[in-house]
Amino acid sequence: MSKLVALGTYLPPWGNEKVRVPGLDEDALTMGVEAGLAACSASDVDITKVIFVSRSLPLLLGGNAAALLGGLGLPQAVEVIEQVGGAPAVLDAIATATPGTLVVTADVDGGAAGGAAVIGEGVGLESRGRVHRSLPVRVEGRDGVLHEDDDPRLQRESGSRVALQALNLADAPFVVAGLPPREAASFAAPGAPALPVQGASSAIFALAAAGESSGSHVVVALEQASASAVELDGDVFTARVEPVAQPVEKRTTHPGEIKVALTAYDRAFESKLYWQAGKCPSCGTLALPQRYRCIECGEEGTSELVPLPRTATVYTQTTIRVPVPGLSTPYSLCVAEMDGVGVRSLVTVTDAPSNSAAIGASGRMVLRRVATRAGVPDYGYAFSPEGHVDRPAPSITGGAR
Amino acid sequence: MRRVAIAGAGMTPFTEHFGLGIKDLVPMAVSEMESHVDKGLNRADIEAAWFGELSTTDGFPTGILADTLGLLDIPVSRVENACATGQDALRNAVYAVASGHIDVALVVGADKVRETSARTTFWEWMGMTRDMAWDFPLGLVAPANFALHVQRYLHEAPATKEHLAMIAVKNHRHALPNPKAQLRQEITVEQALNAPIVVEPFGLFDCTPQSDGAAALLIVGEEVVDRYTDKPIWIRGFGLGLDRVMHQHKIDMTTFPATKKAAARAYAMAGLRPEDIDVAEVHDCFTGVELISYEDLGFAERFEAHKLVEAHDSSIGGRIPVNPSGGLKAKGHPPGATGVAQCVELFEQLRGEAANQVEGAKIALAHNIGGPTAVSAVTILGSEKG
Repeated sequence: MSKLVALGTYLPPWGNEKVRVPGLDEDALTMGVEAGLAACSASDVDITKVIFVSRSLPLLLGGNAAALLGGLGLPQAVEVIEQVGGAPAVLDAIATATPGTLVVTADVDGGAAGGAAVIGEGVGLESRGRVHRSLPVRVEGRDGVLHEDDDPRLQRESGSRVALQALNLADAPFVVAGLPPREAASFAAPGAPALPVQGASSAIFALAAAGESSGSHVVVALEQASASAVELDGDVFTARVEPVAQPVEKRTTHPGEIKVALTAYDRAFESKLYWQAGKCPSCGTLALPQRYRCIECGEEGTSELVPLPRTATVYTQTTIRVPVPGLSTPYSLCVAEMDGVGVRSLVTVTDAPSNSAAIGASGRMVLRRVATRAGVPDYGYAFSPEGHVDRPAPSITGGAR
Repeated sequence: MRRVAIAGAGMTPFTEHFGLGIKDLVPMAVSEMESHVDKGLNRADIEAAWFGELSTTDGFPTGILADTLGLLDIPVSRVENACATGQDALRNAVYAVASGHIDVALVVGADKVRETSARTTFWEWMGMTRDMAWDFPLGLVAPANFALHVQRYLHEAPATKEHLAMIAVKNHRHALPNPKAQLRQEITVEQALNAPIVVEPFGLFDCTPQSDGAAALLIVGEEVVDRYTDKPIWIRGFGLGLDRVMHQHKIDMTTFPATKKAAARAYAMAGLRPEDIDVAEVHDCFTGVELISYEDLGFAERFEAHKLVEAHDSSIGGRIPVNPSGGLKAKGHPPGATGVAQCVELFEQLRGEAANQVEGAKIALAHNIGGPTAVSAVTILGSEKG
């Protein structure tokens, strides 16, 4: 039994209304952060633990926790559990979570999305059973090769139906997550809400649907032949970042690699992930990146990182159309000026087709995988121009190491 | 400080020299310079050399200069200062001669851009010239570096992309008679405007080509100049200016403060004003950069650079002809050689020997801006000692 306080959902703005695809600068971590920030914006729970459940964890070696905490604006001392799992695992994680837990999930393939749940003093959520069976209709091992069975009826009859029966639910569930809409509807009670995704994050979308419908509801999540059920006992608010889908812009990826200097990566990490500038304690001037000598008064060695505003205005911008090794063209860059503080940053433009952030446009700074450098996801903030993706005003604006 | 003159100047053609390496281009440029020294040059007179080279191809730059020129018994220094490299090599040589420590110095600028594929060359340079954590991963390629300025300039000033195209047309036309120029073909405003976009707002014809080449100058003190020529060209002034490196720290991107500082120093040293300049070679790696530079160099009032273009004031025959050689845009741009080659052009202009002569030119100005628009060099030359 746990107490659910708020939910967050995120759909990338690319693809169509049936299937979303991640932007080239998005991965499970950035989409999980989008949903996590949305969920946290709707609650005042002090997060002390993060559980990141996904079948598409960006890194298998090297770890995702530091970048995840940075993007969420949580202290680096917060416990992080990285868990490989699908929709049933997400329901289980939420149902067994202690107060102060943020469960984050995201899908990259087969419908991209992110989801998050804040657990604290909220609405009761209790497990109504789980079953683990094996029907490996889609498998991918350490060799990274995907093997898919081509018999959808096998999945339906020996996977979904048997797993659902094993749960021994009294009635058909209010909503079923983890299946295509028609399949999901066939196993759910009449009038079940259709979910826009089928992966791990569909569990969050299902809870959101249940939480927005008055009364107590059973939610089931399926994955292959495994299933988990929970009962949600009341209304839960969901902060949704679900923009209208726009067609994917055609971009050409050019061979080559953007080299990485891990020394520079390490020095800039905290500032880049928490979106912080150096502040001179002597004159108060902000500098991005943080610098040894104050850009204004010359004070040396005393700069301290402070959070930057997340809203900005374009000072100048350009779009690169020539091939650039290791990047996908066209792409847009802009010098964005943070509202209220005048600090500028050269950043990529995201969430919109190239060349659509004009001088003077306002928007938000959002965490993106700015580049992949020799295999290293290089996270940083990108400018999301207004009018493409609406987000709730975040209550979290940075943290400290 | 004693007066210093250019007694000889020469350069290789600027082009894609696939068949020639840096070890060929350097001696070719120096031999051409030597052949233009009116009274001849005994190489044993050269007491020191400065070598401007931005990239390093085929190895250790100063050693290559000494080795390929047979100058193994003099000190050689390499200068690298982004697109101000060539003029900064000259500046250092002039200091040495002006101080009286030496009488005769050699300045060579060279670069072999086309040693790597056209697609990767500039990107490889980016890896050396960008903040590795903040700017490099964004793909801030060289044209984008300048485009961020020009986009803001076009936003604030009345100038348009048509004015950029008119500069491209002018510089292509100027290059036609120049045997050293890389792009000797006339283009129209329509062609320039309809060309594929490289980086907004620059189309293909707004951009310099990728060039190989070398250029050389013989720098002498006034007491010995008569040994070499009766028509020396005098170094009247020079200046180097810097600015913040990262774009986010440049407060007003419609201007290049580095240029203003370099120009102010050069004008002050020469005791001259912008209206005294008869001909100029201005950094036009991208057309919009030439436009902004009119204002920074004092040739036009703020946000009125386009009027110079509209009135053809910066064309041959105009009030202040700019880039009679074709400029970086059409003559070519091997960065280390560029600033030196601008002085080769102006040496010829001031002696009345240029391929595309500006009649009666007595005072000339060379200008470079580069290194994420953070360094600029300005050199003022004169046919009179001043």
